Amino acid sequence: MNGGKERAKEEHGTIVPIDASRATQAFRLIRGLLRHHKRLFFTAVGCAAVFAACTVFSSVVVRLITDKVIVPRFEDGHVATGRVVAILGLLVAVGVVRAFGVVGRRIFANRTAWRVTESLTAEVVDRVTAQPVPWHRMHRTGDIITRAGVDAEAATQVLNPLPFASSVVLMLVLSAVWLLITDLWLGMAAVAVFPLLIGLNLTYQRRVDKFYDTAQNELGKLSEAVHESFDGVTVVKSFGAESRETERLAVIASRLRNARFGAIRLRSTFEALLDGVPNIVNIFLLVAGSYRVRSGAMTIGELTSFIYLFTLLVFPLRLIGFALSELPYSIAGWNRIRELLDEPVVSDPALTLRRHSDNGIELQGVTYNHDGSRDVLSGVDALIPAGRTVAVVGPTGAGKTTLLHLIAGLIAVDHGSITVPESGCVLVFQEPFLLAGSVRDNVALGRTVTDDEVHMALLAAEAGFVEQFSEGVDTIVGERGIGLSGGQRQRIALARALVGNPAALLLDDTTSSLDPATEAKVLANLRDTLRDATVVAVASRPSTIALADDVLYLADGHVVAHGSHDELLASVPEYRRLMEAFEHDRAEHLEGARP
Amino acid sequence: MSEPLGRWSAVQMIGKGVEAAPALRRGIGATFGLAMLGSSGRVVVPILVQQAIDHGFRKGNVDVGNVTILGVIGLAVIIVATFAQRTAVARLGRRSEEALYGLRVRLFEHIHRLSIADHGEERRGALVARVTSDVETLSQFFSWGALAWLLDGTLMVLVAGVMLAYDWVLALVAFATAAPLAFVLRSVQRHLVAAYDKARTRNAEVLTSVSEVVSGSETLRAYHAGPHYADVTKRSSRERSNAFIRAGTIGAFLFPSGEVFSVLTVAAVVTVGVVRGAGAGLTSGALVGFIFLTYRFLEPIAEFTEVLDQTQTAVAGLRRVLGVLENPIGPPEPAHPVTLPLGTLGIGIENVTFGYRSRGDDEEAPVLVDVTAQIPAGQHVAVVGETGSGKTTLGRLISRFADPTIGTVRIGGVPLTAVANDELRTRLVVVPQEPFLFDGTIAANLGFARSMLSIPDLEKAIVDLDLSDWLDTLPDGLFTEVGARGGQLSAGERQLVALVRASLVDPDVLVLDEATSSVDALTEVRIGRALDKLAAGRTTIAIAHRLSTAARADRVMVLEHGRLVEDGPHAQLVAAGGPYSRMYEAWMSATASTQ
Repeated sequence: MNGGKERAKEEHGTIVPIDASRATQAFRLIRGLLRHHKRLFFTAVGCAAVFAACTVFSSVVVRLITDKVIVPRFEDGHVATGRVVAILGLLVAVGVVRAFGVVGRRIFANRTAWRVTESLTAEVVDRVTAQPVPWHRMHRTGDIITRAGVDAEAATQVLNPLPFASSVVLMLVLSAVWLLITDLWLGMAAVAVFPLLIGLNLTYQRRVDKFYDTAQNELGKLSEAVHESFDGVTVVKSFGAESRETERLAVIASRLRNARFGAIRLRSTFEALLDGVPNIVNIFLLVAGSYRVRSGAMTIGELTSFIYLFTLLVFPLRLIGFALSELPYSIAGWNRIRELLDEPVVSDPALTLRRHSDNGIELQGVTYNHDGSRDVLSGVDALIPAGRTVAVVGPTGAGKTTLLHLIAGLIAVDHGSITVPESGCVLVFQEPFLLAGSVRDNVALGRTVTDDEVHMALLAAEAGFVEQFSEGVDTIVGERGIGLSGGQRQRIALARALVGNPAALLLDDTTSSLDPATEAKVLANLRDTLRDATVVAVASRPSTIALADDVLYLADGHVVAHGSHDELLASVPEYRRLMEAFEHDRAEHLEGARP
Repeated sequence: MSEPLGRWSAVQMIGKGVEAAPALRRGIGATFGLAMLGSSGRVVVPILVQQAIDHGFRKGNVDVGNVTILGVIGLAVIIVATFAQRTAVARLGRRSEEALYGLRVRLFEHIHRLSIADHGEERRGALVARVTSDVETLSQFFSWGALAWLLDGTLMVLVAGVMLAYDWVLALVAFATAAPLAFVLRSVQRHLVAAYDKARTRNAEVLTSVSEVVSGSETLRAYHAGPHYADVTKRSSRERSNAFIRAGTIGAFLFPSGEVFSVLTVAAVVTVGVVRGAGAGLTSGALVGFIFLTYRFLEPIAEFTEVLDQTQTAVAGLRRVLGVLENPIGPPEPAHPVTLPLGTLGIGIENVTFGYRSRGDDEEAPVLVDVTAQIPAGQHVAVVGETGSGKTTLGRLISRFADPTIGTVRIGGVPLTAVANDELRTRLVVVPQEPFLFDGTIAANLGFARSMLSIPDLEKAIVDLDLSDWLDTLPDGLFTEVGARGGQLSAGERQLVALVRASLVDPDVLVLDEATSSVDALTEVRIGRALDKLAAGRTTIAIAHRLSTAARADRVMVLEHGRLVEDGPHAQLVAAGGPYSRMYEAWMSATASTQ
């Protein structure tokens, strides 16, 4: 129990760093959020003030109804019709204006929150897309996505209840003044209860939030475990482990249940108290009030309006704790966004590339050191003449992918220089990334290209299968789109590179998920369509390597050899061994096949 | 939704839900009684005001003693009511969380036991949603909607009762004036739900878009598409804001319309009360009490419209959850299991035809048609065929992840349908195509094979499969964390873990669903070595994607469009000039590296 509390405290601590007091942070948050759309926000606050004033004023109307309409009618037997109409008219008018105050407050508060979310999201998205690859590699993808997506929304959610909260404060002040003016002693007694109720509310909110946080945490763990367990259902079934898995998940689900039990216990007590305490205060007001009425210090109507106003205040008082419970999350969201926005834009590695009018690529003493510990590439020299096809070959970890990313200008060399064609090089990644959208969008990727160009590129990439889809190039792929195989995705990604008719093409093991026959066709098409382009391709299949003009053999970040496949087979024993390993599988079966 | 049929089925649905989660029914009567008692606390103040005005405040003579006695009685009622309410809320909360926990555990077990055909990639997310978000919908319903039904429902009944007891004419006036509110709220609510649905869709779009801009940052950078997709995201964010602003504007009218109806109702009640006067037995206290009661009566109505909506959502969630439980579980356990003979087991496939039932479409051609083959004990068989030929399905039928629509599969001469699942899983093991690992250590993943495995057992298995050198390369040996879905290991290493895991069961039959992903040369060698050791002395059925595997097998079964078209040793089939030899030719020419 105690341990749980400690943990909850710690978690709470991580949400709100203690470098500044909560109030200062809240102030900073609101000032930060309201850089834009101030007018919307203050309109909402104005409407909230109308609501507060009307609420207090409605208790005056109740007094009038009691003292000027009901009591005369029942005590004296008659009441002037004009007066009844006037007072009831006032009642309805105040009620309607009050309702409009609420409508206005809600509309403008909501509008403020979403317009600010929009501005904030735009700022974050601009910043994230402005940051080059090295910055993205220093941050976890999931973390940035949360900051840009969920945090932007969380930060602004406090704007929704804020006008309401300000109206509650105004309402309390007005009520206090009104109650004290009506009857100083009874008023003081009633006003003294406000802080008690607010304190009760805030205590409840703070304590219950901890349980909700824990429950949310446990729910997250449960979802994760369920996801994993169902994903692994084949394994579960293969080993007849259905019952064992159920038991494992049941334990996790029981933790969620227990966290909820804690919240329920707390909630049932506080909710009953929050209902009970105002009722008890009301009874006290009534009894004490009867003395004041007897002494002639107040009228029955005044006492009634006292009780009425107190009843009206209970509901907003109950909500203020709830409304402010968003605050820590908003502060946390805002701080996380600020961290992201406060980071300066890293300089673009592409600027370090040298350009020349030729289609060739030149590497001079290229050294790249990923994190300061070990050179991924060191002193790489290579001259790749325009129009040549070079296969980059090497064991895992040789630095092949890094080399392509350097040439593409995604990352910058630490030493040495890279010279590329004027228009740069186009890289096709090892893992194709398709965006949610049509095949056409994915090929064009924001560039203006004609339908013909898209079709030609798809054909050259052997992605003719797209034409078989009922919607053709308008078929939606990516998330929530149709499912594509790895090879199909790869070919669409290739078409994306071809559509710009690049001066130099960099392929990072792009064709490996294709079957050998398709791969051969794709490579043949490349040579046909990009006659003058330079092609640098990371490859591991001997059949692919053999199609290249030259082979750049890398190991441990060094160029071991650069020459034709046959030359390297003959002169570099290391290279020959690697090729043999690649062919191991094939060689072995050939022996096995001969009886 | 409002058709009687729909309502009826909702009631039936709730009945079925209670059947599925019997904890709900326990003590529900007592909970209801306590809630009734608890709600009585909320009508104490209006009644007290009425009593005090009528019996305490006679003109010119306030009977303070009488008011004090009334106050003490009221205080006692409120204290009892507060306790009753607390107990009722706690009971409902606890019972519902217990019930939902029970429901979750039932779902875990049931879903794990569903046929593999019900576990398709496209249904995975839905199944996870059933046990997470759908059950959460129910939990949210119980913590708010059900509570509102319980507390506000009883409150409205009580308030209506008190009103009728005071003056039935005034009560009817109040009900009649307030009645249209229910219709206004329903119609606002309907628009609101539609508007929020749209807004949530827009929200999902923004989150997708944001996550793409971040996770695709390298691709966007390589194609200079960052600014374009930033604009796409910003546009999407603007649309989300517009949608939420629209929804919020509709929602802004929900509560204030209750306010307007409150003042209208009070005005109507006071008017009629004043017109009728004391002659009709009405008192001034009762009329003032009515003002209070009207607010109490209308307060929950606005909330109820949301509660009604939440109830519908909860019933829909319940419907989906129960739908899963209605789904029959996978291959049923035999009533009278037959014990398998000792020693290596052969497999018999007799006139097997299979179609995926859950794909719904009756017109769908069966995946396997009349396949017959006898696989003697100890034979190594490779099943080959193009994607969609039915080879994966055949593997599943042999593993009894599903039963044939027509025909029989036998293991050791015994029909699979007569073998107890627990026994089958110790005699036959499947190594799936993309072996699935759970987040945890390698040891934990190996331990999944069967219970009561010791670390020396695991070490021995690794030595037996000649994989000690691989284990030495891992940072923490057996205790290396594999990450979510084994992501910290390479694809090849995941296969190694799967092979060791399979060997720990020491099965007589192995079904190998071969991997397509490319693996580095060294791991390839290790996999081949481990596979040879594992296969020795066992019957193996390899669902082969590489013809090299087929070439190594004792026997090759060739499937085409669900039919067994060729069956024999590799060399014989190559010589026969049939489909297999054509596949082989194509493959040989494509993989040739030189000449």
